[in-house]
Amino acid sequence: MGSEAIGSLFWIGVGLFFAIEGISLNVGILKNPGPGFLPVMMATLLVLFSLFILIKGLTKRKVPFPKVFWKRQFLAVVSVFFYIFLLEFIDFLLSTFILMFILFATLIRERNRWPKVLLYSAAVALAAWLLFYVVIRTPFPYPRFISIWS
Amino acid sequence: MGVFLGTMIGVLPGIGPSGTISILLPLTFKISPVTSIILLSGIYYGAQYGGSTTSILVNIPGEASSVVTCLDGYQMARKGRAGPALGIAAFGSFIAGTFSVIGLMFLSHPLSKFALLFGPPEYFSLIVLGITFITYLAQKSMAKALVTAAFGFLLSFVGMDMITGKSRYTFGIPILSDGVGILPLVMGLFGVAEVFKNLDALETRTIFKTKLGGLLPNRQDWKDSGRPIVRGTLLGFLIGVIPGGSSPLASFASYAVEKRCSKHPEEFGHGAIEGVAGPESANNSAFGGGLVTLFSLGIPPTVVSALLFAAMMIQGIQPGPFLISEHPDIFWGLVASMYLGNILLLFINIPLIGVWVQILKVPSKLLHPLILLFCIVGVYSIRNTLFDVGMMMLFGVLGYLMDKFDYEPAPLVLAFVLGPILEQGLRQSLRLSGGSFLIFLNRPLSAILLGVAMLLTISYFFFKRQREVFDVKDEKA
Repeated sequence: MGSEAIGSLFWIGVGLFFAIEGISLNVGILKNPGPGFLPVMMATLLVLFSLFILIKGLTKRKVPFPKVFWKRQFLAVVSVFFYIFLLEFIDFLLSTFILMFILFATLIRERNRWPKVLLYSAAVALAAWLLFYVVIRTPFPYPRFISIWS
Repeated sequence: MGVFLGTMIGVLPGIGPSGTISILLPLTFKISPVTSIILLSGIYYGAQYGGSTTSILVNIPGEASSVVTCLDGYQMARKGRAGPALGIAAFGSFIAGTFSVIGLMFLSHPLSKFALLFGPPEYFSLIVLGITFITYLAQKSMAKALVTAAFGFLLSFVGMDMITGKSRYTFGIPILSDGVGILPLVMGLFGVAEVFKNLDALETRTIFKTKLGGLLPNRQDWKDSGRPIVRGTLLGFLIGVIPGGSSPLASFASYAVEKRCSKHPEEFGHGAIEGVAGPESANNSAFGGGLVTLFSLGIPPTVVSALLFAAMMIQGIQPGPFLISEHPDIFWGLVASMYLGNILLLFINIPLIGVWVQILKVPSKLLHPLILLFCIVGVYSIRNTLFDVGMMMLFGVLGYLMDKFDYEPAPLVLAFVLGPILEQGLRQSLRLSGGSFLIFLNRPLSAILLGVAMLLTISYFFFKRQREVFDVKDEKA
């Protein structure tokens, strides 16, 4: 099964999900359309368009699977979700330092990279803290455990 | 400030005007509505110019509408003519931007009076036309563009139904009652997804050096560029006015026109200054054209104007036929700022080219974590909830995968912004007509709009078939 078919199956799934949920919202009648009316219509269209792509993908020449580089992107996503979790418990400055440390350590692949990684992480975290916390006064979540600057 | 910030971020490869505005949009929340719209316009101009600088000096388009600038601009740089290329890009953008402001001044008011003829059926039909147009112009596949547009509409239905107050697709999550935020969506699809794409290949860049003294085009350059600038300006403005039109389309169309009109078309792709002057003028002019439709009809015809639309809604301002009469300060403030922005673009950015080149030299592996952090804090600052950050990352993954599987994000964003208007138009129309869909055909304006949408769809399949026939003939030959 080519990439076109896989992609379209994903969208068919999304469309079916929205359609089933939409039906439970009260579709109403044509004279008085309910909150589920257009969602069901649109979800049906999504499924139909995706079916068209699926059929085309199955009957025509298979498009090879695109090369998806998982590692760096996966790490970036996981580290941001970890960062979101951290912000609830520790300070913005520390959390940002940890996030930057993980990202720079992943991207800078030289020998003896650790001094650079530490330096860049600290510099970015401090600059971000100065800009967002001190100057702009963004109201970050109050840390439950560790706060250097209370 | 907007022009400066926009150029600084726009210079970064892969971060285009949409991504730049998305990333910098949170800056506008603490300031007045007039100032925020002025700031965003400045950001747009700056980002557009920043994208051109990257295209000419590094051969990496800053955004979609700068792709054509790579074709000839970079070749000019290779021949030691980066200065005139950058200069004509700036001057062309200035002239086109100024013209589009004049067009905005004189056309918005009459068009807003015309817009008073629009009722729910007309709005519904106009949006159908707009979505049909943008999917018709899809680079890759109309069917795929329709898929992403349908998904964009579905995302816009998340939250509280505006008529009945019933919660839709919220699954008990309180914050979703306000719907999916536009900023997590666009910052994810355009900002974070671009970072992910760039993480695929952390390229090193070769940047051509250029002397500041050589930035002014000579007499021959002006002679060669004069008509392309005029044609690009007019074409771009007209394309920008149409719902679904866009700066990338304007620049591609202008390139095609200039190649057709040139006495030496063989020079295109090898450093023809017309290939820079026309497209650069067109993409700036398209922005002004888009603002005409936004301010008069209240319909954002392009992704960038959709972001301006979102910014105005967040500030409590409803774009539409009554904007000019109810908020003249916003309209005229924007017009004045666009004049200023164009002038500043010319006099600030050209001397600062050395600074932008230095930014380009910052390695990707240092830049991307910074951009990611900026996006995180930016999106958090809107509703002060980490949920939005999570949403942004999910949309970033979606945007990355969509790019890999050849699905375009622009129809999704436009549909997301237009979804509430479409739904309101449809439901009100059906109530008015007692459930009959004929209301969309009985009203002449609505029928015309739907007719054009139908023609576009038919012509897409007809020309597609023609292209397939020609391909087969070529293969046989």
